[in-house]
Amino acid sequence: MRHLRASLAVIAIAGFAPCFAAAQPAPAPARPAPELPKPIYRPQFSSMENKRDLSGVWFIRDYNRRFRTPMGTLPPFTPLGRQEWEKRVKAEEEGKPYADASTYCWPHGTPRVMNSPYPIQFIHSPGKITIIHEVAHNVRHIWMDEPMPKDVPVTFQGYSVGHWDGDVLVVETKGVDPRTWIDEEGIIHSDQLYVVERIRKIENGETLENEITITDPVYFTRPWVKRITYSWRPDIRIAEYVCEENNRNAPVDGRTVAK
Amino acid sequence: MTRPHQTSQSAADMIRNTALAFVAAAAFAAPALPAFAQNAPDPGAPNIAGVWMLEGDHSTVKTLDGKLPPMNKEAAAKYKAAVAARKAGKPTDPLNQCLPHGVPRLLFSAYPVEVLQEKDQVSFVHEVNHTPRLVYLGAQLPPPEERDQNWFGFSAGRWDGDTLVVDTAGFNDITTIDRAGVPHSTDMVVNERIRLIDNGQRLEDVITVTDPKTFTKPWSTRITFVKKPGYRLQQYVCTDKNPEAAAP
Repeated sequence: MRHLRASLAVIAIAGFAPCFAAAQPAPAPARPAPELPKPIYRPQFSSMENKRDLSGVWFIRDYNRRFRTPMGTLPPFTPLGRQEWEKRVKAEEEGKPYADASTYCWPHGTPRVMNSPYPIQFIHSPGKITIIHEVAHNVRHIWMDEPMPKDVPVTFQGYSVGHWDGDVLVVETKGVDPRTWIDEEGIIHSDQLYVVERIRKIENGETLENEITITDPVYFTRPWVKRITYSWRPDIRIAEYVCEENNRNAPVDGRTVAK
Repeated sequence: MTRPHQTSQSAADMIRNTALAFVAAAAFAAPALPAFAQNAPDPGAPNIAGVWMLEGDHSTVKTLDGKLPPMNKEAAAKYKAAVAARKAGKPTDPLNQCLPHGVPRLLFSAYPVEVLQEKDQVSFVHEVNHTPRLVYLGAQLPPPEERDQNWFGFSAGRWDGDTLVVDTAGFNDITTIDRAGVPHSTDMVVNERIRLIDNGQRLEDVITVTDPKTFTKPWSTRITFVKKPGYRLQQYVCTDKNPEAAAP
């Protein structure tokens, strides 16, 4: 994967060098040439032009495998939520972690899939927004301007509908398979999980903010918020990530096993 | 627009109210329309977006003249072994381990594919094992010595009139070209010429495979897809259907 990035970078530099050269003013004398910017695959696009245009590649910033509230605290667990979380943390400390959906190479579920240290790409098309995740070829489909159906089928990613509230993309998700977790450490959810994401561009379009409100009366006493930010990365293309190949941690009896 | 006590409208009122309604609708709709204008497909490019379904069974690929691909001796022996293994109930197909289809085999999948079209990228999101294949328009294939060995290779595309031309290279040699087991080497280059036919109701993909280490000459095959308006991709998770497969 890294090698792919490197080789693509070489090509992109070769391909776009004339553009950069042409854009430069007459060279100032006696000054070392500035370092070339990283290859930009999409030099024709700016993230700042349209706040409702999320298209392009974004990369999580300050990735943390644990979900905490913006205050840094654990979520408002019910006794059951606390017990299930402690069970998982303890098992990991003992070297026998419980396996989550990702360990089985299943789709990661919402909101877990929005928190991975790999790039994601938003693609707009009429009536929907699609998110292509590098990690384990996860794909999310967000149906725009449609009401949440009364009964949604249970799927790993859940069923997502979105609408614009000003320049904020609001995405509601229900029907997330309870075999997925909320974070990587041990916050889990039931079939009553209801996720609302408020996604918007901040910092002059260089950052995408996702304020995730998580509601699940089985595991939490009230809704709580997790905030994630992503950087605009026109220098990255989504690479291949095949979980099914050489899964070193394929679970045995529900526990992650290192091989 | 009309007050409750009004029981009838003059023609002028109706025209005015209708016009106001249009203005209101336009004002409401206007900000939503250019949401993806920046990366919207070029207006001149054919619109191949939507969900498509393969026609016919292509589990055993045939060339344009209905023959087996022109395999060299070594490839023919591999092919024979794969066919024999399947007949013996011990198929060697990597798909049985939920491994990726590769190209061109992904195109022969009997599950639908959603095409997302942007100015500089055409994405083929396949239902089978939630597999996205991203084609970069205007990109160039890396030179042979710099190609990685990936499951799906790197896909560079361009519009040639009404045809989307895609070149894909940089493969591993684990995948097979079809279910029957036609092999290929890491040197394979796949060229596709994709265009709308039958007034846009069907999509044609003429695939040419060049791989001198496997075939005595380049060969082509042709597949067609029929439009599935309104269809939404369903969940297909190979490792869930097949829990043993994720284990090495």
